[in-house]
Amino acid sequence: MSVNALDLSKCDLKVGIEVHQQLATGTKLFCSCPPMKSEELPLSFERRLRPSQSELGRIDAAAVFEFNKGRVNLYRWNPESSCLVDADEEPPHPISAAALETVILISEILGARIIDEIHVMRKIVIDGSNTTGFQRTAVVGLGGSLAYGDGKSVGVQSTTVEEDAARALGEDARARQYALDRLGVPLVEIALEPIPDSPEGVERAALQLGRALRSTGRVARGLGTIRQDLNVSVKGGEVVEVKGVQKLNLIAKVVRYEATRQMGLLQVAAEAKNRSPNGVSSRVKDVTETLKTPASPVLKKVVQRDGARIFCASADALAGLLGFEPYPGIRVGKELGEIARTNGLGGVIHSDEFRKQGVTEAEDSALRAQMGVGKDAALVLVAGEEGRASTVAVLVKERLEAVPRGVLRETRAATEDGETRFLRPRPGAARMYPETDIPDIVVSPELVARMGLSLPVPWEQKVRSYSEKYSLSGEMAVQLYDSDKADLFENLAAKSKLDSSVIASILVELPARLAREGVEEMSIDGSLLSSVVLGLDRGLFAKEGAYDVLRTLGKGEVKTVEDAVSRLGIASMDDVEVERIVSEVVERNHTLVAERGERAFSVLMGEAMKLARGKADGGKVSAMIRRKMQEAGSPKQGDGGSA
Amino acid sequence: MGDLEGYRGQSLTALEAAGVSIGDFLSLEVDGQSVMGTLAPRYAHDDDSHIVIKLKSGYNVGLSVAKVTKVSRLAKGERPSFTSSNPKTRGDLLEVAILGTGGTIASRVEYRTGAVQPAISSEDLYSLIPELSDIARIRTEVILTVASEDLEPEHWGKMAEKVAERVAEGARGVVVTTGTDVMGYTSAALAFALQGVPVPVFVVGSQRSSDRPSSDAYLNLIGAVTLAVAAEFAGVYLVMHADSSDELLAIHRATRVRKNHASARDAFESIGIPPEGYWTRKGPELISKSLPPRARAEKFVPKPLFDPNVALVKFYPSMPTSLLEAQLASGLKGLIIEGTGLGHVNRKNIAVIQRFIAGGGLAFMTSQCIWGRVDLNVYANGRDLLQAGVVPLEDMLAETALVKLMWTISNTASAKEAEGLMRKNLAGEVTERSFPSGQTA
Ligand SMILES: [Zn+2]
Repeated sequence: MSVNALDLSKCDLKVGIEVHQQLATGTKLFCSCPPMKSEELPLSFERRLRPSQSELGRIDAAAVFEFNKGRVNLYRWNPESSCLVDADEEPPHPISAAALETVILISEILGARIIDEIHVMRKIVIDGSNTTGFQRTAVVGLGGSLAYGDGKSVGVQSTTVEEDAARALGEDARARQYALDRLGVPLVEIALEPIPDSPEGVERAALQLGRALRSTGRVARGLGTIRQDLNVSVKGGEVVEVKGVQKLNLIAKVVRYEATRQMGLLQVAAEAKNRSPNGVSSRVKDVTETLKTPASPVLKKVVQRDGARIFCASADALAGLLGFEPYPGIRVGKELGEIARTNGLGGVIHSDEFRKQGVTEAEDSALRAQMGVGKDAALVLVAGEEGRASTVAVLVKERLEAVPRGVLRETRAATEDGETRFLRPRPGAARMYPETDIPDIVVSPELVARMGLSLPVPWEQKVRSYSEKYSLSGEMAVQLYDSDKADLFENLAAKSKLDSSVIASILVELPARLAREGVEEMSIDGSLLSSVVLGLDRGLFAKEGAYDVLRTLGKGEVKTVEDAVSRLGIASMDDVEVERIVSEVVERNHTLVAERGERAFSVLMGEAMKLARGKADGGKVSAMIRRKMQEAGSPKQGDGGSA
Repeated sequence: MGDLEGYRGQSLTALEAAGVSIGDFLSLEVDGQSVMGTLAPRYAHDDDSHIVIKLKSGYNVGLSVAKVTKVSRLAKGERPSFTSSNPKTRGDLLEVAILGTGGTIASRVEYRTGAVQPAISSEDLYSLIPELSDIARIRTEVILTVASEDLEPEHWGKMAEKVAERVAEGARGVVVTTGTDVMGYTSAALAFALQGVPVPVFVVGSQRSSDRPSSDAYLNLIGAVTLAVAAEFAGVYLVMHADSSDELLAIHRATRVRKNHASARDAFESIGIPPEGYWTRKGPELISKSLPPRARAEKFVPKPLFDPNVALVKFYPSMPTSLLEAQLASGLKGLIIEGTGLGHVNRKNIAVIQRFIAGGGLAFMTSQCIWGRVDLNVYANGRDLLQAGVVPLEDMLAETALVKLMWTISNTASAKEAEGLMRKNLAGEVTERSFPSGQTA
């Protein structure tokens, strides 16, 4: 059984991207609340949502389970960021004109057809993240395309304006908790056509789309303001929706993982079909009595709790296939564990890991006897509170029966380490009906024309202009654009006599380095950065000291650049001191200079900078060393082998 | 749904020319591109220059008829249909009658076209709220299909008669569903017309329509039906959310309840008294000990007549005499005044009222303050009103006073007798002791 990495170019991988970007308008989409995060949420109410009526009778087991978990939705809020509209106690106000204009503008940037008469819809969402039980959303533009480099482009399906969901605060057995501050914040959603490209190509498309959005200057920035959903499919599988990729640089990783997972499941499916061409038969039984005193420490702990039961799901012909990993970390057993965890249990124990989990051979035999299955069957144990465990056991049974189908239509969540985990079965077509509280909006040709005239300078052009005007490298110019500090940069470049690339590096690279060290990007704002640049410009410290100065300030250890410099002891050396150090170094290495000539330079430079400890400008030191070396004697050429 | 429901003018012409109907799957040529989707209905206030297409994604988009160069049908649509599951009716449960008076008790959505259809039959109701089938045997009937604001006094009479009919047929309790806008008036009207009713009657409505997953209709209805079975008391009550959460319902006295918010779930408040009790998921709670017990049904006779020839007039600063004069000239028999503060109107209007009373009319004073009690003895203005013959109605709500006057005039032989009945506390519409607003004994 091979555990080779997968060549995705042969898998017919297709990825559709949906980007959800918060807009930077002053109000929410259907009320006048300011979009802001509330730290305090003093008010609350509890609601129950019912699945929309026409679904009754044909909801699948998992959706019913989701609804019948019996949990209420607890909404917490603060009047500073929410009102009765957000609480579903007042009808929505007319749609925010600023948000609508922004989405029209974005549609036009993407070359979409603007809809003549916009209809706000209710898209049913019963997980509680909307107090109404639906999300208000409207198509503004259809079609268009996005170029994403190397001459490639992808079609745009639709551009919509919609309200953001409430912020999830967590859940327990009784209630799911949400904060209302984020509910109703305007979003633009752009759905791209499926991209038949590598994971990296997909990531680049998302990146370019984000840049195009930011070129409007009308979108929100910061963590959580942009979210990507991915629809991933491979040859022979189904489309799987992966929700909530928050970081762009995770997209390729998530796509790779999900595609590998799907290919792995297809491989397991092929083997299952091979073993059992007529499908997998599975059943569930309560085995609590059989495992009265379980040997497995995990099971022992669970059954000690009041009202706990153990259920066993068996699946003929699947022995060995639950723990089988066609690719590293991809196995059916993991999928079963996710179903259990999604429904509030710790996990499952399956027969391919019985020994590892401490289930004895005798227990194994007893279980098989009770289930009436032979050695070729796989067993899965589900333990916990009776209601929960029995429901999960049924879901596990259904999942086992679906093994020969390979990839299932489901909605998964992206994890922070670039994997995906099961959330729920994927609902059928979106259930939508008109939002009758909002009259249809006729978009005047004048508005379309006006927005057409105010299209922003394309981001590529802006980047090009930075690199031409300030002689920045292409990469640095893009980074500067992405950082949103281009205006600050231009301002500082005009004010100081520093090299443009030095300024750009302080604005863009240093905050990123500090972020990796855990200094929050929030604490390094524009005024802090400009004080560091201007301090450097005034010669308070050498540019090598900029990182330490910024870190000291960013951590809040000192208030001013002057304090940071004196705390760090890196006040710029005067020329006399620099000369003294350089003389010392050249003298000390006098033999080396004599032997190696110019090639001794780097050694000398290193030693001198070390002695200067960030207090001296590298350029100045270097010039001085070269001069001293020249003075020290006639440099020799060649490898020093002269006779 | 009609074939081209809601379409008119240019858009209707274009669609008729193409021979298509709502629900058909169409392709429309627009600017040389084709847009495909299902033809969706149009609504009453929409213009005549757009065609609405429901895209495959579920979104509706409106396309300007002027830009559509070709309409072709790709597939014939099916009419929206709703299937109800067959409810199990449990013979061991008691019967609760639900009377629909606003057309829609509950409704559901057909997502293919976005149509909303009312659920009227018990079967529909059971399939929308399956819990009901474990609470009672439900018997539903829609007796009126008028919007809340179009209700007339005769409709209250019809409701009262239907309630009495169901009671006579052995219903354990009756639930009347109605629009919330005038629900306070309706509950008061039923309280007067159904004095002495031997079973509990609960008037319910919803502030969020029942096609929404967050609708309050479900809890209000489940609570009212549960109460109709479980309550040990009789009489007419209004049952609605007690606060913003879907957990607690307040049982309001029918004659002392008022809609105090335009849209919130807990819009209804008992004025000057606490609610008569609450409903929680565990059952009735904090039920007032003074409620009448259930009684035998045989002797009960409703008094369903209401005389519409009365008016409710809210006094405001600078109110001209012409307004009241016009009203009184229209053959009015009685007048409820919502005066300022303790019950005042400006001097020039006192003269008009005096002439009305002298001519045989009945005039009563309530306060527009909502909380508190009128008193015409404190200021000269009040004493002038008293002298003119205006009768103060203590802390009776103005809306309740209006309904009571309509009922009283129909149920008395003379003005004198009517005035006496108006002063009498018939259905808990007046309290004897006052407490700070929001606080109660
Ligand atoms: Zn708001």
